[in-house]
Amino acid sequence: MNKREFTCISCPLGCHLELTESQGSDLPEVTGNLCQRGIDFAREEFRAPRRVLTTVVSISGSNSLLPVISAGPIPKEKLLACLDYLKRIKVKTPVTAGDVLVENILETQVSIVAAKTVE
Amino acid sequence: MNKNKHLEQKLREKISRKADFDCSKVTVCVDDHNIARLTGMVESWQNVVDLGYLIAKEKKIKNVVNDVKARRAAVPAQDWESGRLQGEKIGVIACVDVVIVGGGVTGCGIARELARYDLNIALVEKEADVSEGSSKANNGMIHPGNAVMPFTLKAKMNLEGNKLYTNWADDLHFSFKRTGSLIISYSRNDLMSLLLAYIAGKINRVPGMQLLGGKSCMDKDPSIEKKPGLGLWTPTTAYVDGYEVCIALAENAAANGVRFFLDTTVCAIHMDQGRVTAVVTDQGIINCRLVINAAGVYADDVAQMADDRFFTIHPRKGSILILDKKTAGPQINVALSSRIKNKYSKGGGGLRTVSGNPLWGPSAREVPDKEDTSVISEDFDYAYQIGSSVFEHADRSDIISYFSGIRAPDYKEDFVIEESAVTDGLIHAAAIQSPGLAAAPAVARRVVSLTKSFYARTGRQLKLKDDFDPVREKPQRFAELSHAEQERLIKENPQYGNVICRCETITEGEIVAALHSPLPCRTVTGVKKRTRASAGRCQGGFCTPKIMEIMVRELQLDITDITYKGAGSNIILRKSRGDLEEKQQ
Amino acid sequence: MKTIKCNLLIIGAGPAGLAAAIEADRLGIRDILLLERNDELGGILQQCIHDGFGLQRFKEQLSGPAYAQRFIDEIKQSNVEIKLRTMVIELHQDKSCYAINSEDGVLEIHPQAVILAMGCRERTRNQVFILGDRPGGIMTAGTLQRYMNIEGLIPGRKAVILGSGDIGMIMARRMKLEGIEVEGVYEIMPRPGGLQRNVFQCLQDFDIPLHLSTSVKSTHGKYHLEGVTVVAVDENLKQIAGTERFIACDLLVLSVGLIPENELSEMAQIPISTVTKGPVVDNNLMTQVDGIFAAGNVTSVFDLVDYVSASGETAARGAANYIREEKQSATSIDVLAGKNVTSLIPMKYRKNGQALELYFRSKSIIRAASVHIMQQGQEIYKRKFQIVRPEEMIKLQLKADLVAAINPRQAITVEIRENGRVSDE
Repeated sequence: MNKREFTCISCPLGCHLELTESQGSDLPEVTGNLCQRGIDFAREEFRAPRRVLTTVVSISGSNSLLPVISAGPIPKEKLLACLDYLKRIKVKTPVTAGDVLVENILETQVSIVAAKTVE
Repeated sequence: MNKNKHLEQKLREKISRKADFDCSKVTVCVDDHNIARLTGMVESWQNVVDLGYLIAKEKKIKNVVNDVKARRAAVPAQDWESGRLQGEKIGVIACVDVVIVGGGVTGCGIARELARYDLNIALVEKEADVSEGSSKANNGMIHPGNAVMPFTLKAKMNLEGNKLYTNWADDLHFSFKRTGSLIISYSRNDLMSLLLAYIAGKINRVPGMQLLGGKSCMDKDPSIEKKPGLGLWTPTTAYVDGYEVCIALAENAAANGVRFFLDTTVCAIHMDQGRVTAVVTDQGIINCRLVINAAGVYADDVAQMADDRFFTIHPRKGSILILDKKTAGPQINVALSSRIKNKYSKGGGGLRTVSGNPLWGPSAREVPDKEDTSVISEDFDYAYQIGSSVFEHADRSDIISYFSGIRAPDYKEDFVIEESAVTDGLIHAAAIQSPGLAAAPAVARRVVSLTKSFYARTGRQLKLKDDFDPVREKPQRFAELSHAEQERLIKENPQYGNVICRCETITEGEIVAALHSPLPCRTVTGVKKRTRASAGRCQGGFCTPKIMEIMVRELQLDITDITYKGAGSNIILRKSRGDLEEKQQ
Repeated sequence: MKTIKCNLLIIGAGPAGLAAAIEADRLGIRDILLLERNDELGGILQQCIHDGFGLQRFKEQLSGPAYAQRFIDEIKQSNVEIKLRTMVIELHQDKSCYAINSEDGVLEIHPQAVILAMGCRERTRNQVFILGDRPGGIMTAGTLQRYMNIEGLIPGRKAVILGSGDIGMIMARRMKLEGIEVEGVYEIMPRPGGLQRNVFQCLQDFDIPLHLSTSVKSTHGKYHLEGVTVVAVDENLKQIAGTERFIACDLLVLSVGLIPENELSEMAQIPISTVTKGPVVDNNLMTQVDGIFAAGNVTSVFDLVDYVSASGETAARGAANYIREEKQSATSIDVLAGKNVTSLIPMKYRKNGQALELYFRSKSIIRAASVHIMQQGQEIYKRKFQIVRPEEMIKLQLKADLVAAINPRQAITVEIRENGRVSDE
């Protein structure tokens, strides 16, 4: 059975994970993890890798930029398209950290929120 | 004619006798002005240089034009033609009396001194700012005159210049410390070179020299740990920052009417029957009557443009290390007079600059490329070795910067300050190398004298302007003020309360003032030279973005226009966000 | 000139300073003055827009600005007086201080106690002795981060990165995402300088090659960078002649280390450790100068901001006790770095009835490691780690009851052993 190797990104420890592809509908086995998060990460990475997106967006009427973050990880293959989208928008102030700026960005079911409060 | 042939023969014999490399493909000609012209091919660049020296040593030879090529070294070709065509196309952009070619300390000194007279003057400089060549990359020493060969023009200029520096400093308010210098000796070799310096000093008439015993040396500088044998104390040695002197001269010249054409390269000189009528630059033509050639490493090229090339500049690179101000070691300048035994080394040492940083080096290396200011490991190591022998407790971690400068010597290793013998309207202030910085006031004075004679011969008596203002105000240095003065300054102008360069405590007020001086300043390096911002520990990592913001605002520039040091060194390529639609939240 | 008397002066409103100010306020200290040179609070966190911050403290992975916002929101509810755009230009051993800003002019400040929280600066091109020309187009990762994340500016088309610390790898990804080509990341050591997860999510994710045991030898270009020459290095980090390779590029990003910013500390003649490059501190994070405390990156380069905040809080507690003239143990003992340990904070221990926090790093990678705190050959404390790495700072918290067992007259030593044995360095 095929083995895949990943580094877990759930915490700074970065466990070296080994996933064994499984037969049928069984969940693949994962070794090398120090906690459950590692198992979940490896399985997701194998099936449908996702990443948290962070970038900055323009603020209307200002030269300043607003740092933003996706509320959860988004499908890796949509990362660049989402970034591209966010490069082209302008946001109005005031903004509070946690405000949703873009809901369900590019059909990913994930929102983009403000990381910072700007008056 | 006979005389020349005889001399040529003598030189050919000298070459075959003395050269330890293959000179079979070299030819020598001597013209009626006793200028030797060399052509042909040798193996290495050092061979080219050694050949030039060999010929120049001959007393009857006035100077050497060395066009010999080296098989193993490619000399980059100079392209003046495309600039010339561009300038011709643009046409006349100015009409002046005098064009000074070159904005180093020589050219800026001449500009400032000539500005006293009723002349219309333009200074043309190919880089984006004055003092972008050797004038910014030297060790800042205003030599007393005991390290220079006696009976040369440069020795005379050195002595005179050293004395005149006080006048310049008083008027122009650049940092200037006449702390004197001490040469100490430990070994017999040291003692020999110390005595040579003493003798040279005596012949050159250096004032106030004293031979000191070991204990007196230690009294003079308590940082000396091991008692030296003999010491030579020279009270007239002074220290400056070369680029600061240059900028001060240029600002005062500009305030007194000299027009500065920066980012402008002289590519050709128009003449009408041997008389100068204009310079052609890549930005257009400037009509003029007199050209003063202060073009540094390019002085021979400019001479060529005026049909008067009788010397060749052979670039000699020197690398320098700058250390943290906190580095322990000599506070006044103590030089160890021992030399590393190396055919091509030329001394150097370790000193403390006017701002308090140890400066190690310079090294010396003949290079074929006039633009080669790279630092290579051998030269870095040489400067390290020579400097660490003076600053014994310092180490590599104290080094904050290193760079190279190119000296512009000819083969006679002396200054060429004279009116052209063949072209009407050309004065050379060329082949300026150490002690060029120290000599600058004297060189300027001499060129002024030559200029007056030139104009007198054309029937014009130069008159002093009565509105010439010799004073350039001392720029505010916030970090040097008392708290009370700082408070007053901030209340007057709140920009002085905004610190931009945290390593050197340089404020926005100082940067804005530098950007609005009579001399244009449009590069980040220009701001650094005028304010010392980004010259400290973090080397601009923190302040450069802030400096750029200020430049955008004060000079009405787009951020993408701002360069590090001119010509295509734009710091920012593009903005990351543009063409945006409003997002409904 | 305005004169300010206050109880506590905190220099720097990055994560250490913010945490210290909030904790001191929470402990009931009044007249706290927080000075910050930037035009907003948060320090370096404001330009660290990537996530990964706060997992320990908040159980979430926040981005830098979001982590800072937690503290900014809290400090706004406090009594702390904040002055932005204010630069401290002098600090003296008697704790007096001069600061300047555009509104107040020169401020003369006389605090009862000071907490230094100035953070670090970056190592420059000259400090890693890159040779060649000195064109534009060379900058440190932090400066690049400022251009890209705060100013929205792109400085080049094609970049080479020297240094595979976390900042270098994170900026590699950031550049790629903003349309700058990244030719590769070059690392002089034989291992990546930062976390494995960053090798994975910053480099591998984006096919950015990582070249180990390779350094940048020289830069080329008269006005602007035209390329760099990289060179392989041997096990002693010496360049191997003949392995040079030229790479055309217009941007060289340096991520070659951080240096605690202790200019003010040195001005105040506070003794600095040659190991951490920060002040010698005790367990209250007080320096060797009475009443001057230090927290965060100014004491030693941290890698987790959670620990920085914790250190700010420790310093605040120490300063609060000092201001209240709580009785302090007169004697202190040395806290020594033993086998395999480096960058140890604090360096001195003074009994104060509280838990003892220790921060340190291992000198090398050690698997099945155990940390031992020894005093006179006796083991006071032991803890096992599956693996310790130099790039992951270790924090130990010794509870008050354990600490009570420490003899206040004998030095204690922290050491790391492999498989129960002390391994050779």
